[in-house]
Amino acid sequence: MRLPPVLRLVARNFASNLDPLTIIIRFGQPAITIVVLGTMFSSIISTNVTGGTSYTAFLVPGMVAFQMITGGVVSGNLFWLDRRWAMVEQIFSGPFLRSEYLGGLVLTTMLFSLVGVGVMMLVGLPFIGLPALSPFRLGAVLLTVALGSIFFAGLLIALGTRLRSANAYFTIQSFLQLFVIFLSTVYYPVTSSTPKVLTVIFYGNPLTYAADTIRDSFNARLGPGDLVSLGVLGGLAAVAFGAAIWGFRTMDLGPIQ
Amino acid sequence: MDPSAPVLETYDLGYAYAPDRFAVRHLSLALRRGEVLGLLGRNGAGKTTTVRLLTTLLPPTEGTAVVLGQDIRNGGRGLRSRLGVVLQSESLDFVTVERNLTLYAFLWGVPREVAKSRAEEMIELFELGPARRRKPWALSGGERRRFQVARELMHDMEILFLDEPTVGLDAIARRRILRYLRERARNGLSIVFTTHILHEADTLCDRIAVLHLGRLIALDSAEELKRQHGGAREVSLTFAAPLTGELRAELGRELTARGAVVLAEEPGATVTGRLAFQASAAEELLPWITGWSQLHGMAIERIGVESATLEGAFLGMIEANDDDAPEEAPSAGTARLPPGTGGLS
Repeated sequence: MRLPPVLRLVARNFASNLDPLTIIIRFGQPAITIVVLGTMFSSIISTNVTGGTSYTAFLVPGMVAFQMITGGVVSGNLFWLDRRWAMVEQIFSGPFLRSEYLGGLVLTTMLFSLVGVGVMMLVGLPFIGLPALSPFRLGAVLLTVALGSIFFAGLLIALGTRLRSANAYFTIQSFLQLFVIFLSTVYYPVTSSTPKVLTVIFYGNPLTYAADTIRDSFNARLGPGDLVSLGVLGGLAAVAFGAAIWGFRTMDLGPIQ
Repeated sequence: MDPSAPVLETYDLGYAYAPDRFAVRHLSLALRRGEVLGLLGRNGAGKTTTVRLLTTLLPPTEGTAVVLGQDIRNGGRGLRSRLGVVLQSESLDFVTVERNLTLYAFLWGVPREVAKSRAEEMIELFELGPARRRKPWALSGGERRRFQVARELMHDMEILFLDEPTVGLDAIARRRILRYLRERARNGLSIVFTTHILHEADTLCDRIAVLHLGRLIALDSAEELKRQHGGAREVSLTFAAPLTGELRAELGRELTARGAVVLAEEPGATVTGRLAFQASAAEELLPWITGWSQLHGMAIERIGVESATLEGAFLGMIEANDDDAPEEAPSAGTARLPPGTGGLS
């Protein structure tokens, strides 16, 4: 049986670009964060700050949200390497549409992120147990991660279509990753004592909405605010994906370094 | 589809990077089924752009082409699924050579069993056996190139585009690939082949299109191009006895009067019985030379006439069409040969 082109591309993305070491590091880093940071900070951070839960219980949903960055980065890097090694041009010279290649990348991102969600929940299991996720709340978590993955993948792919140097791409990607993660509520909550400037920056960051929504799902506190967050995330995902499509349509396939 | 109909036709095809910067312009040519068409030209002549246009990687800004009955402006997946393309740039996946081959076949929807046996065939044919478990970065330049051609042959196609496929290959590997391509062409595969190795084009191609500054300046068989554009060829005369200065001067004058360019002796050469000259119609001068030698009692021991080469014809065509190029034709009676005009026969 011949798979549809998008699925063939997804299978190829996994087979050709995701070596075991990359996968271990991508998932291992947040897993270690849960274990080490969670354990160490749980004893020194008051549960008053983290909304009545232990710091580990606060951190696990944050690391689940983090997976959308991981997925986005994986996709962005896949695309960059394909471009660098002329595989984009080679694939486009074959029986594929540009939209299928882009669809394949986004699907790869989502799959990677969703596997990451499972891994993070598994790592958090000994510390916080299984979160009581109803189908609706689980759906909210998965939807949030999916939308966030599309946002970050779209952003990095759009960037990859414009930049012609690996140095520039990886520098900007690392910079973005660092700031997006640390200026969000992945590691710490926004409280009344958070400086105003940081609060504004935190809430200008889509990862904050994602982390808050996932945390509320884990703690059975989903409310109308989370729906707004999902709406904002959906809008940003649409914009980033649109930018990626535009980048693809106007991309110069010539050599890059 | 009529089997004798061209599989590819271009009509005033052109591509401009900017309004006044054309990479290819007014390109009109055709390719028949089972034909090997060579695209020759200097760097930047428009060969790669032509390949990219014909494989729909670039949209034309002027004219169009019909490939396998489909206009390239509308031909998408349906058209590309009938083409094979070996790009000039290295394109690689980060898995072993063997896995690269089967993975590429998978991308093209080749059934797994067919892919496995074809991968074995390609590994054997392109001598990739020792490299089959190596990843691309562990391959030599020649192995990478062989691998890239092998990978493209993992799927079926009707037209194969090869953009400088033999760069970095040793003579044996090159010959092997060319022989294989010739065989495939005999079985109906049409091939568009770009190269800077003119001997290859001479050996492989049924017809050769010469591009210069984005325009087609010649399209014919290698033999015909050599005949029409071969230009001056070197003739080397060896007399049985040394030529005196007087006889040498007289022969030189007479040859120059007949349109030949006598080549200067190496500085410090002693008087010998050798004289070399360049002439466009070298063979036509030979009866006169025989007559002259008999008249002066100078027996000729050997006459060497340089065979016409595609390289000579190519250089002649480029010079004739290069408005910006400095005039290289000698105006005086003596000159040295331009480099690489081939050996004597």
